[in-house]
Amino acid sequence: MNSDTAPPQPLLVYHDTTVRLFAYAAVLWGVVGMAVGVLIAAQLTWPELNFGIPWLSYGRLRPLHTNAVIFAFGGCTLMATSFHVVQRTCQVPLFAPKLAQFVFWGWQAVIVAAAISLPMGYTQGKEYAELEWPIDILIAVVWVSYAIVFFGTIGVRKVRHIYVANWFFGAFILTVALLHIVNGAAIPAGWMKSYSAYAGVQDAMIQWWYGHNAVGFFLTAGFLGMMYYYIPKQAERPIYSYRLSIVHFWALIFTYMWAGPHHLHYTALPDWAQSVGMVFSLVLLAPSWGGMINGMMTLSGAWHKLRDDPILKFLIVSLSFYGMSTFEGPMMSIKTVNALSHYTDWTVGHVHSGALGWVGLVSMGCLYHLIPRMVGRTQMHSVPAIELHFWVSTVGIVLYIAAMWIAGVMQGLMWRAVNPDGTLVYSFVEGVKATWPFYLVRFTGGVLYLGGMLIMAWNVVMTARAGQRVSIPVPLAVARA
Amino acid sequence: MSGSRRAAPAPASQQAWLRLSGLRCAACGGLIEAAITAVDGVLDAQVHGPAQQARARYDPSRTNVPALIDAVRRAGYDAVPDEPCAARDQRRAESRIALWRLFVAGFCAMQVMMLATPAYVSAPGELAPDLRRLLDWGGWLLSIPVLLFSAAPFFAGAWHALRQGRIGMDVPVAIGIAVTFVASSGAAFDPGGPFGDAVYFDSLTMFVSFLLLGRWLELGMRHRAAEALEAAVGAMPLTALRLLPDGTARAVPIGELEPGARVRVPAGEAFPADGHLIDGRSTVDESLLSGESRPVRKAIGSGVVGGSINLGAPVVMQVERCGTDTRYEAIVALMRDAAVQRPAAARWADRWAAPFLWTVLLLAAGAGAVWSVIDPPRAVWVVVSVLIVTCPCALALATPSALLATAQAMARRGVLVRRIDALTHLAGIGRLFIDKTGTLTLRQLALRGTTRLPAVNGENGESFVNDVEWLQRAVSLAAYSTHPLSRALVAAAPPAGGAFVWRAVREQAGAGIEARDEDGRLWRLGAAAWVGGASGPADHEHMAACIGHDGRALARFDFDETLAEGAAEAVRALQADGVALTLLSGDTPARVCRLAQRLGIDAADAIGGASPEDKLRYIEMAQSRGECVGMVGDGINDAPVLARADVSLAMGEGALVARANADAVIISNRLGDVVFARRIAGRMLRVIRQNLAWAAAYNLLCVPLALLGALPPWAAGLGMAASSLVVVGNSLRLKR
Amino acid sequence: MDSLYLLVPLSVLAMLGVLAVFAWALWRGQFDGLEAEGERVLLDQDQGDVGRRTEESAP
Repeated sequence: MNSDTAPPQPLLVYHDTTVRLFAYAAVLWGVVGMAVGVLIAAQLTWPELNFGIPWLSYGRLRPLHTNAVIFAFGGCTLMATSFHVVQRTCQVPLFAPKLAQFVFWGWQAVIVAAAISLPMGYTQGKEYAELEWPIDILIAVVWVSYAIVFFGTIGVRKVRHIYVANWFFGAFILTVALLHIVNGAAIPAGWMKSYSAYAGVQDAMIQWWYGHNAVGFFLTAGFLGMMYYYIPKQAERPIYSYRLSIVHFWALIFTYMWAGPHHLHYTALPDWAQSVGMVFSLVLLAPSWGGMINGMMTLSGAWHKLRDDPILKFLIVSLSFYGMSTFEGPMMSIKTVNALSHYTDWTVGHVHSGALGWVGLVSMGCLYHLIPRMVGRTQMHSVPAIELHFWVSTVGIVLYIAAMWIAGVMQGLMWRAVNPDGTLVYSFVEGVKATWPFYLVRFTGGVLYLGGMLIMAWNVVMTARAGQRVSIPVPLAVARA
Repeated sequence: MSGSRRAAPAPASQQAWLRLSGLRCAACGGLIEAAITAVDGVLDAQVHGPAQQARARYDPSRTNVPALIDAVRRAGYDAVPDEPCAARDQRRAESRIALWRLFVAGFCAMQVMMLATPAYVSAPGELAPDLRRLLDWGGWLLSIPVLLFSAAPFFAGAWHALRQGRIGMDVPVAIGIAVTFVASSGAAFDPGGPFGDAVYFDSLTMFVSFLLLGRWLELGMRHRAAEALEAAVGAMPLTALRLLPDGTARAVPIGELEPGARVRVPAGEAFPADGHLIDGRSTVDESLLSGESRPVRKAIGSGVVGGSINLGAPVVMQVERCGTDTRYEAIVALMRDAAVQRPAAARWADRWAAPFLWTVLLLAAGAGAVWSVIDPPRAVWVVVSVLIVTCPCALALATPSALLATAQAMARRGVLVRRIDALTHLAGIGRLFIDKTGTLTLRQLALRGTTRLPAVNGENGESFVNDVEWLQRAVSLAAYSTHPLSRALVAAAPPAGGAFVWRAVREQAGAGIEARDEDGRLWRLGAAAWVGGASGPADHEHMAACIGHDGRALARFDFDETLAEGAAEAVRALQADGVALTLLSGDTPARVCRLAQRLGIDAADAIGGASPEDKLRYIEMAQSRGECVGMVGDGINDAPVLARADVSLAMGEGALVARANADAVIISNRLGDVVFARRIAGRMLRVIRQNLAWAAAYNLLCVPLALLGALPPWAAGLGMAASSLVVVGNSLRLKR
Repeated sequence: MDSLYLLVPLSVLAMLGVLAVFAWALWRGQFDGLEAEGERVLLDQDQGDVGRRTEESAP
């Protein structure tokens, strides 16, 4: 085929600008979100630290922390990695790259709006859904765009098989859209004020149907998608059982929808609804562990790689925390256990073992794999810094969750302790006093974790400065029309 | 493709399946894919590395299968068209629809269970009636796809059975499902009505799911058995001895043959293509194709069919139509047949199914009548429970599931089972006849030495010929034979090229090979007595062959044989298992005795010098004594003997003839696998007995419970499905 | 538990959607040749050369 007269065809390249931007943003918001977390941990230890300023009060900063770490840090990580993975596994550049850029800037706008509105006290009062209705609408628009870009890319793929990671991402995107819209239904009563469309215990039920599925799909399914791509890539081995990963996916989809009521044990929610939640939370254990084993066993026969590769340490250790949390969760959903744990710091410990241990570590591992490749390198600027980050974070996590477990069980026991005549043994404030040392330990753990994140930020900056933006061509052999 | 094709409009795209070779690593698959996709006209291609297969969709007006194979070859690999694709496509469609039915049933069952749980866990009165109705209707809605789609095979099966005027196993199942659905629908929409207000959609959907799960597992087992068999067929050698212009023969892949090619076909090998004979005459076994086991005489000019087996003498054929069609279609169809055959035990179960099922229906009707007097709303549920709990599927699955699992386990070890019924005999053999050469000893003998024989009567016409030249002459003649001694000779020295030209080559079973040289002299290579003349001091310890002409042996070749690896251990293991062993060989009694000694077999059980007729007689004698007789053999001589034994196993590298008549083929070529096969067959019998006992006990326990109204439908469904799964699961243990 | 009037139909609809997606996947061959697909991600050449300086296509 002679091409003497025809101009050379431009190479098809992956659209990685948005990926890179999201990756950097993830690191930035990680630092910010964790810093706020450290601040409010400090406030629980030393309440004077709100300085009497409303915008620094614990009640306003806590949702800022949760939104920042979940939606800003977690969200940007998910968007970066999903855009990266979908392009590579479909062997095609992003569908509608301009829309992808809109997704980025729109999402940053959401984050900034949150960062401003939450300390100012604007809140809907629903956990992980505090942002007021205008921001909710912006979220919906950005999310729909995200879905268009992601599913559009799959639609124009050049590889027939859709890799399992994309199934997890797709499920996460669709479910979060559904959850957000249903739970966010509200009647506006002012520019930054609204009332939920649901009332009382009904609202609670819907809120925790949202809340738990947000955890299940945003923080689990999405990150499992990441795990299923980056672990094989980093370990240079295929997933232990690809077939099992497919079964894992469908089993998880099966069971997640009805576990919500376990957040509402011993509340006004009818007993039977609580029981339903308990039963299905226990059922969830099986598919979750299937995924964990599948990911870990990928290293079967190559465990020595863990010794030398700190990124693999992040990824594999994150899976053990995943396993731990998905065991702890169903246990805590059993009514008798819940009778001890509800409203105590054990719940906080459980959340953070999942958040710091699973979500945090897997995000860090994936970003450490991804960022160098976005600037034409195969490794971060400093690998020893990654190793340091790993150990600092792990110590931080252990301190955090150990402190919260002890505190939680202690609180539960103290609150339930009853004198023979039926009166409470301890007053509430006595429980608080007893918890104080553990708040201090937890604060220390948080500081360490934030420290690790700062190390990562430094490493990322150095890597970006040393690398160059490159265009990576889409493999030609398959990219024929 | 062979056979007649229904005329169909040319499709816009066609699928081609290729079998690949030369894949060394995971990346090779991607390279081959890229190579195929690069061919103009190819729409897409997929390589399945572990299965060494490629599938490509292409536009038949722009390219064709040879072009794809060409592309693969240029990439540095090799490919042949893969004919069993039709069977594979059918299996794939079958397993897809089975999985889909299972998924729909399972998923809906899960959701229905969630909707049903509040009713179970709530205290009376805690659940508002409206809410209760909502949950019930949700359950009803979700049961409809299960009823109409997932459970369709049960209804279809029941309908077909009833139309033929008999009761099949699907009948009680279909009735149970239908009654459950109708009664639950009544309870859902008319809670105050005759069906009460208890709905059992969760039982219904769960029960259908479990049944489908059992069927899907069984289907998977059957498919994997078929795949293993097909893969094993593919593992058999695919080469032909192509005659080059200079007269030498070279082994080439069958795919490289083209019309007009000349191929030498030794005795015992299959014809690699369709064509006609151009040299030699022989008898051919065409039973693989026609079922006619009597050998057919072929002479120069006779047509031969690819896949038939040359029995008598080496011949040369000219290829007319090549490609792997004929042989593959025949053998694969054969294997496919074996995979779906209904073994005797399953036919027995079928016979008992009808009376059993009638009993069940009568019991259910009777229970319904009785309960409609005692407590009318419960009558329906008791009937449903009785119908569901008595699943004869456990009985039906008991044997076939075990047989299939065993066949699969054996296939994985390298023992291909051709007749599944033979497995039941294998465990019970009292005496095993074992051939020597190729079974206990390595087929490949080693040449120990060459001795020129002193001239007789003072003649020394060829004393100038040295050892090496004798060897070369012998080797060139031996190339026409697949006899172990011939192979050993060939292995000792490469053929000397066109220096020796032979005509009218004929192999005589048990004696040797003879041919005429360019001067017309009749040369013979083989047993000393047959070649003629003195062979020197009789050496019965080691094997020898002589070469000579005109009735005079001129040189002797001595061979050594070595014990096959693992043979001694296998013999000991068999003896420890209580199997009487008899060595049965055509070799000299002295050598056979010596080998028996080395292996620890009684001298009385070492029979040498046995002709094929002798061997047959020994087998028949043992059978007339009431012994269940097995035979492990190899070589052309054993074929009729293998057919006579109760169970016959053939070692994998032997001539195809033996394979065709054996109940199982040991492709791994390890005698130890006979031990394994026997032991697993024994385990299989135990598993079958366990399965049958379990199925019987379960029915005996649960039916009375259901009749007494002590078994709610959900428990009946669970029990029934669980009992099937127990049977299938127990059988799956055999695969380990 | 009036919220269930919303949540139950919603989950039924979601379920039907899931069934549709699974059917699509099954019949379009997404579950064929799974072992090879697991390995495919390792074959992607998705690294750019180190230090290569090229203009990126405009976003």
